[in-house]
Amino acid sequence: MKALLLAASLALLAPVATAGRQGPPVAEQHGLATPTDDGWRAVDPQPWSEDVTAALGALPVQEGGRVKPLSTLAGFTLLRLAGRRSVETPDGAKLGPDAFLAELLVRPDFASRLPLFLVAEGAAIDAIGLDASVKKRRARWSFDELRPAVPKLFELAHDWSNVEPARRTSTQQQVVQLAEAVHRFLDLAGFLDFARMDVPVAKDSRLAQVVGAWDGRASFADLVAAGPEIGALYRELAAADDPLAREALRSIDSVLRLAAELGRAADGLALVPPAGSAADEPTWLTPSELLAAALDGERASDAQVVALRGLQSLARAESDEQAGTALAKLAASTRADADRRGETRSLDLERAYYRAKPLTYATVLFVLAFVVAALTWLRPRSRALHRAANLLAWSGTAFLVGAIAVRCVIRARPPVSTLYETVLFVTAVGAIVALVIELIDRRRIAVSAAAALGVVGLFLATGYEKLDAKDTMPELVAVLDTNFWLATHVTSITVGYAAGMLAALLGSVYVVMRLVRRRDAAPDTFRALGRMVYGTLCFGLFFALVGTILGGLWANESWGRFWGWDPKENGALLICLAMTAILHGRMSGHLRELGVCVAAAFGGTVVAFSWWGVNLLGVGLHSYGFTSGVSKALWTYYLVQWGVCALGLVVWWMDHHGRRTASAPALDPAMRS
Amino acid sequence: MLALLTFLGTIEQTEHGLYEVQRRYFESLLLFHDVGGVPVPLPGGGLVMGLLFVNLLLGGVVRLRKGVRTAGVLVAHVGMLLMIAAGFVKYATGEEGHVTLYEGQGADWFQSYTENEIAVIEVVADGDAFGPGDERTVDGASLRAATPSAPVAVTGLPFRLEVTRWFDNAQVLPKGPMFDVDVPVVDGVFLRGADLVKERERNAPGAYVTVTGGDGVPRTGLLWAFQAEPWTVDVDGRRYAIDLRRTRHAMPFTVRLDEFTKEDHPGTNMPSWFSSDVTVTDHSTAAGVSRPVTISMNQPLREDGLVLYQASWGPSNARPGDALFSTLAVVRNPADQWPLVSCVVIALGLAFHFGRTLVRHVRREVAR
Repeated sequence: MKALLLAASLALLAPVATAGRQGPPVAEQHGLATPTDDGWRAVDPQPWSEDVTAALGALPVQEGGRVKPLSTLAGFTLLRLAGRRSVETPDGAKLGPDAFLAELLVRPDFASRLPLFLVAEGAAIDAIGLDASVKKRRARWSFDELRPAVPKLFELAHDWSNVEPARRTSTQQQVVQLAEAVHRFLDLAGFLDFARMDVPVAKDSRLAQVVGAWDGRASFADLVAAGPEIGALYRELAAADDPLAREALRSIDSVLRLAAELGRAADGLALVPPAGSAADEPTWLTPSELLAAALDGERASDAQVVALRGLQSLARAESDEQAGTALAKLAASTRADADRRGETRSLDLERAYYRAKPLTYATVLFVLAFVVAALTWLRPRSRALHRAANLLAWSGTAFLVGAIAVRCVIRARPPVSTLYETVLFVTAVGAIVALVIELIDRRRIAVSAAAALGVVGLFLATGYEKLDAKDTMPELVAVLDTNFWLATHVTSITVGYAAGMLAALLGSVYVVMRLVRRRDAAPDTFRALGRMVYGTLCFGLFFALVGTILGGLWANESWGRFWGWDPKENGALLICLAMTAILHGRMSGHLRELGVCVAAAFGGTVVAFSWWGVNLLGVGLHSYGFTSGVSKALWTYYLVQWGVCALGLVVWWMDHHGRRTASAPALDPAMRS
Repeated sequence: MLALLTFLGTIEQTEHGLYEVQRRYFESLLLFHDVGGVPVPLPGGGLVMGLLFVNLLLGGVVRLRKGVRTAGVLVAHVGMLLMIAAGFVKYATGEEGHVTLYEGQGADWFQSYTENEIAVIEVVADGDAFGPGDERTVDGASLRAATPSAPVAVTGLPFRLEVTRWFDNAQVLPKGPMFDVDVPVVDGVFLRGADLVKERERNAPGAYVTVTGGDGVPRTGLLWAFQAEPWTVDVDGRRYAIDLRRTRHAMPFTVRLDEFTKEDHPGTNMPSWFSSDVTVTDHSTAAGVSRPVTISMNQPLREDGLVLYQASWGPSNARPGDALFSTLAVVRNPADQWPLVSCVVIALGLAFHFGRTLVRHVRREVAR
C-alpha cells in the first residue's frame, strides 16, 4: 500500500508547481504584484487571541530526535527566516513565534503577506529577477513579493547548491539560503492542506460504506480511521477479476491519490505520538505516515484519530473560539499521549525558558553594569556607584547562571554540550572569575571587565544563535552521549577558555592603560592589574591542563587512543603551552609585568583559535559546528588582539627609549614569587 | 630560558602540524617545513618531546630548589614526565588494529590497519576437506627492498621462497594483448605499482614470489593484500597457501559477536547508540571460560592487556534489515592507565601550588 501511495504522489507531483500552492500561475503576475496594485486590499484577519497562540505553542512535536514544544520550533523557524524572533504585520503589530506559527499553519494567505524573508544584500533579490531597489539593501520580503520569482529562485539555488559552501559568492550563498527558507515556509504553509478539505467519495460505493461517508464526502481523519478496512477492500478488489471491481478499484485509487497528495505536505511536523510506549515506538508520526500505516492495516488509535480531527478543526477554524476548541482537542489527544509516554518532562519548562528571555535580561543588566562601571572611572570616589556596578554585574551573572541551570534541567545534561552553550558558559565563568577578583581587589577594573565580558559574550551568543538558527538544545551523537565526560572534560576545558579570554581582556586593558598613563603615576594599579592577569592565567592553566588530559582520557575510552593530533586536541595543547610558556617566562624573568600582559593578550587569540578557529578548518573529529559568518568575527578578534600586542611593543619601546630621564621601572618584588 | 625556547618550539611545531595535519610532524626527529617553497628545517615532534622530557627532568625536577614553595610545581612536573613517558611507551610498544565481525562470527586475533605480512600456511588434508596446518609469517617491512636482481629469501621453510618484487601500493590489472609489461604475468593478471594514498589503510601492497621445491622448478606467484583467497602452490607433494595480508596479532582469548545494536535518535539519521554484545572465551584456562560482555561507545572491554572499543560498523550502504558487521578497535598499550595517574598527579600539584599562592595573595589584599 505504501508503494501505491508513493506512485500516487509521484503521478501528481508534476502538475503541482513547487511554489504555487495558493495564488495564480507565475505567468499571470506582472512584476511586484502587491495586492494594492490590483486595486483591492486584502483585509487583515482578526489576530488570534493570546490563549489560542499559547495553546498552539504548548503542543508537543518531535523534531531532531526529541520532543519539544511547538513554540521552540516556531521560534527557530522564525529566526531562520526573519533573523529575529518576531515578525511585523502590515498593521504594525508584532507577532511572536506562536502567533507567527498560527498564521502560517491556519491562514497561509495572510502569512504570505508578512515580511518574513530577511535578505542581507539586495544583490540576491536582483539575481532572481526582482527589483531590489524598492527596499533597503538589507530588507525583509514577504512571500507574496517573492512569489513571481520563486521558480527562478529554486532554479538558481539548485545550480548553486552544487557549489561547495566555502566557494560560493555571497550572492550565491544568500540565494541558496533564501531558497531553503522559502522551502521551509511552503512546507509549513501547506502542512494543514490535508485537513482543509474533504475528498469526494461516490455515495453508494463500497468505499462510502466502509468509511461511513453517507453524504459523499470523507475527511482525511475518516480515511485514517477506516484505513485497515480500506486497505482490505483495496486488496480484495485488486485480487478480483471482475470488470466492475476494476472500476470500483479505480475510484478508490483516485480518492487515495487525492488524500496522499493533500497529505504530501503533511510530512513537515511529527505531531502525533505513536500508540505504544516511548521505548518500543520512539518515532512520532506525521499525518501522512498515519494514513500510510492505517492503509497497511495498522489501526490508528482513538487518540490519533482525535488528533487528526483536531488538526482538521484547526485548519478550518474561522474564529478564535473554534481554534480554541480545536486546540483543546489536540492537547487532549497528543499532549495526553505524550504525557503518558513520559516525554513531556521538561516541555513546560522549555516554554517558560523561551518566554522568560533570561538572556535578554542578563544582557541589559550587563550593559547597565558597564555604563555604571564607566561612571565609576569618572567619579572614582563614589562608593555608591561602585556598589551599583557590582550589584548590576552580579545580577546579570545570576540571570545567566540561572539560564544555564534551566537548560541543564531541560536537557538533563551538564552545562556544556554544544558550541552555543560554550559561549554562555565561558561568559558566565569569565564574569564570575572577574567578579571574584573584584571582591578581593576592589579596584573597579575587574568589575568593568566582568560587565564588558558579559555584554560581548551575550551578544556573541545571540549572534551565533541567529546565524545557526537551529535548535540550541539538540540531541547528541552517540559518542557525546555521556554525561560523565561532558561534565568533566568539556566543563573544565571551557573554564580554561573562559580564564584565557579574561586574562587576554585584562592584559589588553593593562596595555591600553599604559599607553595613556605612565606606570609611575599609579604603580599600585598597574601592579594589581598585572597580578590579576597572572592569577587568572594560573587558574586557567589548571583547568585547561586538567581538561586537556581528561579529553585524552575520554578519547582513550571511546576511540582507543589518548592523543591523535586532532586539530581540537592540538588547540587545547596550544592553550596549555601558551599559558605554561607565559608562567615560566614570568618566573624566569624573561617576561615582566608588561610582557605577561602582552603575552596574555596574545594568548587570547590562541584560545579563540582553539575554541572557534579549528572548527572553521572543517577537519577532525571535533569540528561539530561549522559556520561561515563566524570567521569574520574571529579575524576581527585576532586583529584587535594583535593590535594590542603591537601597542604593547610601543609601550615597551617607550619605556626603554622614550623616557630615559625617568628612572627605570623598579622590578616588582612580587614578580619573583 | 631553555624551558621557554622548548615551549615556543613546540608551539611552532604544533601550529605547523595543524595546518598540514600530518603525522610526520609529530613522530619524527627532524622535518622540513615548506615556507613559500623554501624548506625550513624544524625539530620533529619526537625530538622536541625528548628534549622536553630531559629538560623537565633536569630543570623541573632535579635542579628545582626543594621546599614547600616548590612542592606543587615539583609534583606537577613529575606528572608531566609520567605522561610523556606514557606517550613514548605507547609509541614504542603499542599495537593497534581491529577485529571486524558479523553476528555469529568469532576471532582470536586482530588485524593491523596498515602493517602487512606474508603468511605461509600448509594445507593439510582433513578427511575429504582441507584445513589450515602450521603457519609461518614474515613481516612485510623486511621485504620492501626486494628486487628481481636481489630477491629477499624467506628462511625456515621446507622449500625455497624468494620475494622478487614488492609494491607498497599496487593494483591488479588484466594483461591485454596490446601491451607488454616488465613484470611477470600470472593467470593473466599482473601487478602495477600505484602511488601511496593519504589514508594509509587504503594502500594495498603487492608482491611477486618464487617458490622452488626439491625438483628445482621455480613457480612464480602473485600476491596482493586485498585478494580474497591466498595463492596456493603444490611443492614436493604438499600443498601450501601463501597469503599477503594485514598483519595479524594473536589475542589470548576469542571474541564472538552475538548481537550488534545500532539506534538512531527517533525520526532522524543521527546515531544515538552503538553496542556489540560479545562472548569472550579465555584461552589461558583449559576449560575455556566464556562470559558475555557488552562493548559500547565510551565503554571498552579491557582484557589481558588489550582494550577493545566499539569503533565502527558497516557496510555503510546497508539497507534496513541487512546484516551489519561491527568493527572493534583493538589496542595493546602497556601505558593505558598512566595518563589517568598523571592527570591526578598534575591536578594535585597545580592545585596545591596555585591554591597556596592565591591564599597568600588574598590574605595580603584583605589586610590592605
